Amino acid sequence: MSKPDFETFLAESINNSETQIAPQKDLWQGIEKAISNPATKQRESSMWPKLAGIAACSVAALLSVQLVFNSSAQNTSVAMSDFFAEQKQTLLVQYQNQPALTDNWQQQLTELEDAERAIKQALENEPENPALLKMLAQVYQQQLDLINKVHAPKWQTI
Amino acid sequence: MLIDAKEAFAPPSEDALIAQVKMGDQQAYAQLYTLHVKRVYALCLRLLADKEHAEDATQEVFVQLWHKIASFEGQSQFSTWLHSVTSNIAISYLRKHKNWLQKVVSFEQSGMDEQSATDCQGLNGLDKLVLRLPERARMVFVLHAIEGYRHEEVATMLGMAVGSSKSQYHRAKQLLKEWYENE
Repeated sequence: MSKPDFETFLAESINNSETQIAPQKDLWQGIEKAISNPATKQRESSMWPKLAGIAACSVAALLSVQLVFNSSAQNTSVAMSDFFAEQKQTLLVQYQNQPALTDNWQQQLTELEDAERAIKQALENEPENPALLKMLAQVYQQQLDLINKVHAPKWQTI
Repeated sequence: MLIDAKEAFAPPSEDALIAQVKMGDQQAYAQLYTLHVKRVYALCLRLLADKEHAEDATQEVFVQLWHKIASFEGQSQFSTWLHSVTSNIAISYLRKHKNWLQKVVSFEQSGMDEQSATDCQGLNGLDKLVLRLPERARMVFVLHAIEGYRHEEVATMLGMAVGSSKSQYHRAKQLLKEWYENE
């Protein structure tokens, strides 16, 4: 049997698009916890990491404008590495006395660091490759997200 | 006086649940959550094309809804209002979670890879293709074609020009057509 033409497929799919998908995790527990706790308490306790994050993003934005418009791609990756090394160190120091929610986060961090090394190696051959630069930035961001997430969880129960 | 068993044991209507939630009843809110979570999650997944982000955004929707529900006056259907709240929260979720380089250099996130989209359970054929679309084309397509917003509304929601919304929609359709015909 031949399949319908694209427009028919599109129209039929959109008409029947009342899709309901169940999330794989139980999300209610996290929601219940969030609505039961006074928001102000949560805000107070997480004020400093947020302020630090905002400050880091602002500096990062200024730095990246400078880098993107005034520097070569090779300098971009070097400056990006320096900047993130500093951010990472700050976060690790900030959370050093705080228990992490998972046991294997350092292993996950090592895997991301391995990925970082592989991308940097590839950048040595193609320093202006935008896809590689993007991947490097993503890996750095994932490292910061991981450190933040295991130490300062939102609502989701892990 | 006889009590109609059907009436006595029937689950409360949506309107009754909303009224209870407005008075701070968390058990009623749990029931309202159960009624709507699958639709909210489906919309978040379509917009964000990432299971983990869709789960986070779904939680964010229901946490914000708890605080916003007092402003629901019943002028539209609750599900329509909830879809609008969900769309706005998913869009701001995406903005918040862009990394700094994406914000500065406007890198566009690609969609889900073909295999992951195919493996997503509960999605119809079109949804599996939609998840593969690049970010802007996907958001415009979901909001305009599936959720029924006009291009003017989509443009306001996404902070783009009306012309861009139209061209992203055209781009989305072209990609979907190509993928569908090559399947």
